[in-house]
Amino acid sequence: MKKIGLIAIREFVTTVGSKGFLFGLLIMPLLFVMVMLGAPRIMNARSPQIRGDVAVIDQTTRVTAELRMALDPETFAARRRANAQRALRASMPGAAQAVASNQTLQAAVGQLPALQLVERPASANVQHEKEWLGRNTNGEHHLALVVMHPDAVVRAGAGTEYGSYDLYVSPTLDNATENVLNEALAQALTTARLRASQLDVAQIEATMRVAKPASVIVAADGEQQAQRGFDRALPFLLGVLLFIGVMIGGQTLMTSTIEEKSSRVVDVLLAAVSPFELMAGKLLGQLGVGLLVMAIYVGLGLIALFQFAMLGLLNPMLVVYLLIFFLITYVIFGATMMAIGAAVNQVADAQSLMGPVMLLLVAPYILAPMIARAPNSTFAVVLSFIPPVNAFVMLSRLASGTPPPAWQVLLTMLLGLLAAGAAVWFAGKVFKIGLLMHGKPPNVATLVRWARAA
Amino acid sequence: MQPALELKGVSKAFGDTRAVDDLNLVVPRGALYGVIGPSGAGKTTAIRMIMSILFPDSGTLSVLGRASALDAKDRIGYLPEERGVYRKMRVGAFCSYMGQLKGVAAKQASARASRLLERLDLAGAETQKCEDLSKGMLQRVQVVAAIINEPDLLILDEPFSGLDPVSVRLLKNLVAEEHRRGATILFSTHIMAHAEELCQHIVMLHKGHKVLDEPMAGLRHRYDPRTVRLEPLDPSSDLALLRGTPGVERVDITAHGCEIRLIAGTDPAAAIRQVAAAVAPARIELARVRLEDVFIRLVTGGAAEGDEALRADLQGLGSERI
Repeated sequence: MKKIGLIAIREFVTTVGSKGFLFGLLIMPLLFVMVMLGAPRIMNARSPQIRGDVAVIDQTTRVTAELRMALDPETFAARRRANAQRALRASMPGAAQAVASNQTLQAAVGQLPALQLVERPASANVQHEKEWLGRNTNGEHHLALVVMHPDAVVRAGAGTEYGSYDLYVSPTLDNATENVLNEALAQALTTARLRASQLDVAQIEATMRVAKPASVIVAADGEQQAQRGFDRALPFLLGVLLFIGVMIGGQTLMTSTIEEKSSRVVDVLLAAVSPFELMAGKLLGQLGVGLLVMAIYVGLGLIALFQFAMLGLLNPMLVVYLLIFFLITYVIFGATMMAIGAAVNQVADAQSLMGPVMLLLVAPYILAPMIARAPNSTFAVVLSFIPPVNAFVMLSRLASGTPPPAWQVLLTMLLGLLAAGAAVWFAGKVFKIGLLMHGKPPNVATLVRWARAA
Repeated sequence: MQPALELKGVSKAFGDTRAVDDLNLVVPRGALYGVIGPSGAGKTTAIRMIMSILFPDSGTLSVLGRASALDAKDRIGYLPEERGVYRKMRVGAFCSYMGQLKGVAAKQASARASRLLERLDLAGAETQKCEDLSKGMLQRVQVVAAIINEPDLLILDEPFSGLDPVSVRLLKNLVAEEHRRGATILFSTHIMAHAEELCQHIVMLHKGHKVLDEPMAGLRHRYDPRTVRLEPLDPSSDLALLRGTPGVERVDITAHGCEIRLIAGTDPAAAIRQVAAAVAPARIELARVRLEDVFIRLVTGGAAEGDEALRADLQGLGSERI
């Protein structure tokens, strides 16, 4: 036992004291923050301002004025702001919304298009006008030609459909501009039709609007504003934490085992300790590293929640569950990765054996949306009983708005523990034989043969 | 008292290769044993089984009275053939860590590490990182790690391979010291000269089989070559005259003198006196038994020449493993 402790301490101190650890500790959350902040910006990156001429042949004579209104930059800005506000309300909790709203809204409005309307007489020759599209002289951009159908505003007869419009565009017109144009045309036509029917536009728009309230959860211990955004992000965040903790420990276990084996220091070590003591010590040492990393991240997360006055949203039991499922998952993956390290001679050889392990580690993220949408579906329930992904799945379900029954949580833990035991047994066998084997790196079948032979 | 080491009918095969075949060996406490044989004879496999790093397919072992070295690891010092260190660790910390793993208290381990490092001429290296040391220095560090627990049984697998002459000398002195301290020592080598110089008892392995297990003294007696080498003071002396000397069977002329073969049962002392009386010698000696010759005689069934490649290996020429 003392030897295991000595090995664990050395493993912990060496890992935590290395420059790579500090770098990894900072780089992981940094990458995460960069993706969180950067991705929407890149995706929403403003395309250059849309600028150019749009010709209109209005056979109804009623749409042009409305279209001019609809293409007015002010109208655009108002419409976009309203859309953004709706989206924001649905996705973010109160306090964070206040912080984010102004900036986000400004970003959402973005660069407004500057489209110049060129009126053509109703009797103009369409064929002739089409040729105008191709002529981009003196820096003018001839973007589109709109031909309104005569019955677009007033129906040809009772009971028939409204007419529409034909749209001819230049080959240089991009999708976004076409959308902007269609949007403005739809608005202009609707308004023109309502006016033609002598209906009050403002009245009708008001009738169509239904404000969506933030739902209030009524639980035994009181009422709470539902924070769907937070609830939706939490399972994902916990999963990421679990992943980071397991990866940092597992990866180091593998590389340090490979290093000990290839530098032949194991020959010296095995003269002093048994393979099992060596394995247990290393597993314990890296567990300490994983726990330290998790403690730092969880601590930072709690501080952030406190800052935004959202600490009350987090169920403290979730931190306990995170710890339990981390321990189980860490042992399963840590032991497996250490066995891989013992089996091969250099990091490059480990790649082929790492493939399936990485797939199992990443699988929960591919499945996450399905689990988040229906945390108690048969699919989610079945997955929470299949190690080693069960810990991730159960943690996601626990963090969701509708947690699973207690017996399922206990069963998941029990199955996880059994899997951890099996992983340690298998890894122990492979470890014992693999450490002293040099030469051709083994495949999975060879590993199984070793486990049976040892 | 129970022997330090006892192997009964121990065998180990790797696939179709029988690395060690039915090995029986008893090493008494306090003895200094050399296991010799050419590369591939099964020395390392035998040692790894003694250390419980490998397990025999059949046969039983007892190490310091225990059924397995695992139960006596703290009382054993082991220098493996393939040696490694934690490259990023400091030399003193590494030696002390190995000592602690073998049950030495932390303070005592670091004190012993300092003392032994100094003893092996590495006093200045204690605070250096292992990766900053030369290869020869690292090998000495590993020797320190092997004996830091003041073991009752010291097992050294090819301890001299890759060492420079100064390090070899330092290490031989250390082995002798450990032996005087009372440790039982077993070391393997494929270079016979080292074994000749150090060992009290020789075990020879060849292709997994034990071909010899005898005290060095007995060996010298049994394999007495009955040869006297003579270098005459006057190079023009007629060495053929010696053929008439009593007890002389044959005289072979060599580049610098001659080799005189004595008749079996002749007293070498009397023969040397008579030879010296007949021809004034610059140098005269009784040729001592060379393990290399014994080995080659044993494995080739007495053929005088033997295999040249085998002889080169036993002399440590060409095949010296680093």
